[in-house]
Amino acid sequence: MTQDDKLQILKDILLKDEHEYALSLEQKLKDLEAVINQQPNLSKKINPIIDDKLLEFVEEIPETLGPTITETLKAEIKNSQDAVVEALYPIMGKMIKKYVQKEIQLLSEAINNKMNNTFSFESLKRRFRAKRSGVSEGDIILQDHFKPTIEQIMVIEQGSGIVTSEYSKTQNIDQDTVAGMLTAIKSFAEDAFQAETQNLEYIEYENYHIHLQNFSNYYIAVVISGAFTATFRNKLEDKLLDFAQNVINKTDLENSSILATKLKAQFEHEII
Amino acid sequence: MKLSKKVVLIGHFGVGKSSLIRRFVENTFTEDYKVTIGVHILKKDIQIPETNKDVTLVIWDLEGNDDITNTRPSYLIGTHGFIYVFDLTRPNTYKNLEFDLNYIKERYPNLPVKVIGNKKDLVTNEFIKENKEIFKQYVDLYTSAKTGKNVEEVFNQLAKSLV
Repeated sequence: MTQDDKLQILKDILLKDEHEYALSLEQKLKDLEAVINQQPNLSKKINPIIDDKLLEFVEEIPETLGPTITETLKAEIKNSQDAVVEALYPIMGKMIKKYVQKEIQLLSEAINNKMNNTFSFESLKRRFRAKRSGVSEGDIILQDHFKPTIEQIMVIEQGSGIVTSEYSKTQNIDQDTVAGMLTAIKSFAEDAFQAETQNLEYIEYENYHIHLQNFSNYYIAVVISGAFTATFRNKLEDKLLDFAQNVINKTDLENSSILATKLKAQFEHEII
Repeated sequence: MKLSKKVVLIGHFGVGKSSLIRRFVENTFTEDYKVTIGVHILKKDIQIPETNKDVTLVIWDLEGNDDITNTRPSYLIGTHGFIYVFDLTRPNTYKNLEFDLNYIKERYPNLPVKVIGNKKDLVTNEFIKENKEIFKQYVDLYTSAKTGKNVEEVFNQLAKSLV
């Protein structure tokens, strides 16, 4: 055995562990290279991590970016109002146009139905009215369509807002609460203007007009649908004054059923 | 014939007037405080147990006011009965009790007034006993809008005195 052989044996004995460790490192490097250099392998490892992070990010957007986005939008809308109007106008315009078209269509159908009933009594009456007044039949139909109608009439105690009596075609409102609110609004308006002799006379609520006719101990609230014209208002006022002066008396005001009967008799039918 | 009576709740801000009414009319309670602006009106039909008479209580929930003299007088016209509410946990809301009750009685001498200490759930019986001297001559009932304690009782007692 030569000197070199002996040295080799000694090396093998002394460096055996390090050699094995170097071999394992080499293998690991090769494996890593295989993962990094081959896309399918790399994707398999990295995709789940990216997916998780993305999901987390999306979930946090409202909290992290929400306020910034809102502020940016607000600032943008404020600074470019014309552009916003320009962008929204066609959409809003289309919506409004569609609504108006639908309403006109309904109106047109209603008019057609009325015109088609050529030989009905109503139609003959309308034609007579048209000839006599010089107003076209179409205008009369339109006028009839938007005719003001009394939906509900309430006799309400001044101050307390308690309903003494009422008449309604359809029971769709809570008379006690509405009467209370009307009285509160009246009280507030009259207080605010500090005019004891003046009264609130009219309130508009969505498609309804509420006419208030004041008397000393009570007032009458009339809920009207349709077009509340000056002519109708005058006639209604006359009728309410006549009702208060000539139809009811003090005893009636203490008896809600008698008052309700009288209200129905007076206001059940059209007054114009 | 239908009998309706106007009942007005009066008292400082945040004493629980709206909560008492909500508990009485809807049997609900919320911790969220929403200040009453102006007036809010609700109603409830009740039957007086002893007489079997039906009565509709139209309840006016007035906005709170630390000074009763600032209460809008037009809201009080035609009232049939008052409920004066104070908060048992806030001495500020009952320190002027005597003055406030005199103010009501001078202007509406013949009307029934129920005085109630609300938020009973937040004070102990010992607290009531300790303050007996202040409360006993004025207070009709101790209520809790949160638990519903004595709420029906107050309105029923008042309704009974109205019919």
